[in-house]
Amino acid sequence: MPAAPTILERPQRWDAAFDANMTDADVERLLATAPFSGMDAEKFPKRTPLREIIRNDMRILKFRKGEIIMRQGDYGTSAFLILQGAARVVLKPDLAPSLLGRQATNKKGVFRTLAQLWNRSRPPEMLPRTLLGQSSGVSARQNEKETRVFLQDVPRILDQHRTAQMTAGEFFGEIAALSRMARTSTIFADSDDAELLEIRWQGLRDLMKYDDALRAHINRIYRERALASYLRATPLFKNLSEEQLGRVAEAVEFSTYGDYDWSGEYKRLAQSGSVRPEKEPVIVGEGDYPNGIVLLRAGFARVSQKFGGGERTLNYIGAGQIFGLNEIAHNWRNKDAAVNFQFSLRAIGYTHLLVVPTRVMEEIVLPSLPKNELPPLVAKHEDEFDSAPPEVATREKVGAEILEFLTENRFFNGTASMVIDLDRCTRCDDCVRACASTHDNNPRFLRHGPSAGRLMIANACMHCADPVCMIGCPTGAIHRESFAGQVVINPTTCIGCKSCFTNCPYDAIRMVEARDERGEFLMDQEMKPITKATKCDLCVENHGGPACERACPHGALTRMNLNNLDSLSKWLKL
Amino acid sequence: MKRFRRQLAFGLFALIAATVGALWLNGKSNTLPNYAYLTGWALLAGMFVLTIYNVRKKLPFLPLGKSETWLQIHIYLGFFTTLLFLIHLNFRAPHGWFEVVLAWLFVLVSGSGMVGLFFSRVLPRRLATRGGEVIFEKIPALRHALKTEVEKLSLGADAKSLVIAEFYTKRLAPFFSGPKNFWNHLAESRREVSALLAELEDLRRFANDMEKEKIERLGALVRQKDGLDYHRALQLALRLWLFVHIPLTYGLLIFTALHIILVFGFSGGAR
Repeated sequence: MPAAPTILERPQRWDAAFDANMTDADVERLLATAPFSGMDAEKFPKRTPLREIIRNDMRILKFRKGEIIMRQGDYGTSAFLILQGAARVVLKPDLAPSLLGRQATNKKGVFRTLAQLWNRSRPPEMLPRTLLGQSSGVSARQNEKETRVFLQDVPRILDQHRTAQMTAGEFFGEIAALSRMARTSTIFADSDDAELLEIRWQGLRDLMKYDDALRAHINRIYRERALASYLRATPLFKNLSEEQLGRVAEAVEFSTYGDYDWSGEYKRLAQSGSVRPEKEPVIVGEGDYPNGIVLLRAGFARVSQKFGGGERTLNYIGAGQIFGLNEIAHNWRNKDAAVNFQFSLRAIGYTHLLVVPTRVMEEIVLPSLPKNELPPLVAKHEDEFDSAPPEVATREKVGAEILEFLTENRFFNGTASMVIDLDRCTRCDDCVRACASTHDNNPRFLRHGPSAGRLMIANACMHCADPVCMIGCPTGAIHRESFAGQVVINPTTCIGCKSCFTNCPYDAIRMVEARDERGEFLMDQEMKPITKATKCDLCVENHGGPACERACPHGALTRMNLNNLDSLSKWLKL
Repeated sequence: MKRFRRQLAFGLFALIAATVGALWLNGKSNTLPNYAYLTGWALLAGMFVLTIYNVRKKLPFLPLGKSETWLQIHIYLGFFTTLLFLIHLNFRAPHGWFEVVLAWLFVLVSGSGMVGLFFSRVLPRRLATRGGEVIFEKIPALRHALKTEVEKLSLGADAKSLVIAEFYTKRLAPFFSGPKNFWNHLAESRREVSALLAELEDLRRFANDMEKEKIERLGALVRQKDGLDYHRALQLALRLWLFVHIPLTYGLLIFTALHIILVFGFSGGAR
């Protein structure tokens, strides 16, 4: 007889408050503080009242002078409002990487490269004491809630950098939180009594939805700071004058779909085997009237088509890609034979997008495009792929099974995924040995992972386009390398908090015990081993590219950007 | 398969061209007094290049080019060196125990290399087709877990089935006790496991409903164990040939060094 199911109360959004210690007095105080005092509580639905948003999606943090609130280049899920005291933003030049907990990556020179010949016998994951004791200009302190990193010499920073002070009532971090872009500045507390309100993304989204003033404020900032430069860099708008671009920017609408913290949710769904396109939020429905083109600014979306009782994936699109141009260009040229959207677009995980309305496209953008740059007319027959836009032709290239596999497992996120052709892989583990030889005698990946047919995606860091592992690192140890964008971890500032390890949806980060020069485990005062997060760094310091790829004798392993399936399709046909 | 076909075409072309060239040179020059020295040194140079591939493998952190390129060179140079070996022997059988041992070492190194090449081109595809990818080192632990489950099903406190207990003792216990059917798997024969599954199915005639459920589960476990054995056999074959190829290479190098010393020691200045 099958076991009786476990009956639980259905999990609700606010089961886990951002800060369980928020008191009624805190909520009352915030309700009396701008901008909340100016918000009309009646406009909020009963399901998500203003009071509960404040109670569950916000927390009050206190900072001491010099403590870093956010770092340039970090990914964050929240915005901040200064309640009391002051904060300071670093304008120019940027702070040195060491002050942000990072390591300046240098390619190994001839001597360091050759020195690996005799350094190979040292213990695995050795962390020399000299490296641990190094002064980087920052220190960490533990308060009752979390670890804070502070700048040791604030006067010197003020001397050497142009900065600006922000005081009570000012917002910051909202654009990065909403658009899931990297933070553009470093901000630290500028007084010992700095009190900040941190608003997590979900709360900010709801506040924007129901409060016109806040929405207008954030929209204005977004248009001023982020939108103009983004549109200017988009090839579709390359022929527009500044004035035309300004008109497009004025008309653009932006929105977000899905769950910002999709990685945890995805892990849970993947484990229960219920990742299904039908459950993803619909951005555009197949058969809908085309009221604008969709530009993906961040995250990913699935292009799908009705098939039997479900949806079949045709492709996925990522940041910088456009959906719906075909239909709108078709209708512009064939007003008498207008078509609706041919495919559905669904948010996978988290998606931030811009919509350029059809009217603006027809009046400004499409007339600026030369004839040969206009997309082909939409095919008459549904299953005719000859004139399919590039975003749906992919299914034909890599095959349905592989496309579904990559989409279900969210592998399109990887810019340097480890792809193994099982038809050629002799399981010799030369790649694993090469990785260990190159990285402290400890391989940074597992030659195993999900597979479909002859394709395996190994558990190696994929250097994601949307690096959820970088959200919440308290010391900035995990960061993007500034030149090529690899996600790397600085072992000297990693405090072993497991934040990245828990966040990574692909199990590509491993916690390891650090050792000293004698091979003994490093211990803290409570005699617990010091752990560090480790992962593939794409051999960023070595010449010649990733050692794993170079070590494969059979050409069975490659590092590949799975956001663009052209390379995969070519590789599979090798 | 475009790139691999291109590699194959280029490699074969180079090999055929080198073979024709070497045979032509052999026809023209084998009467020269120092011809044996010339072919000997060429053979040694070839063996040197073939051997340093292993050094390249041990230094993955140095920018010494892709291992794939090295392997291609290793394979085609290996074939060409075999031809050089025959030319050096003047297409005659070696005489004297030392030369026979030296020749046999060369043949075994070349032969194991060819076996390895065959395995590495054929077995990965078979493993991928079979599915159930597993890391070689994890196989014993997985096998142990299967064995424990089978034991519990057949002999556990709530097993209560004489039919299954007897079958376990007679057939399942030996099957789950360790890796089985190495040669069958290598030859892609499923005879042994099919026989075992057929015998297990036969038990249904004597089984009640509860026992039938267990037989169903035991069948699934037998298939899983067979899958593990299959992976073990093929992955082991993919590794074992190297345990012949590499040690014998070192033996060959030692005998080659002695051969050179002997040749120069007894040639009396004939070079």
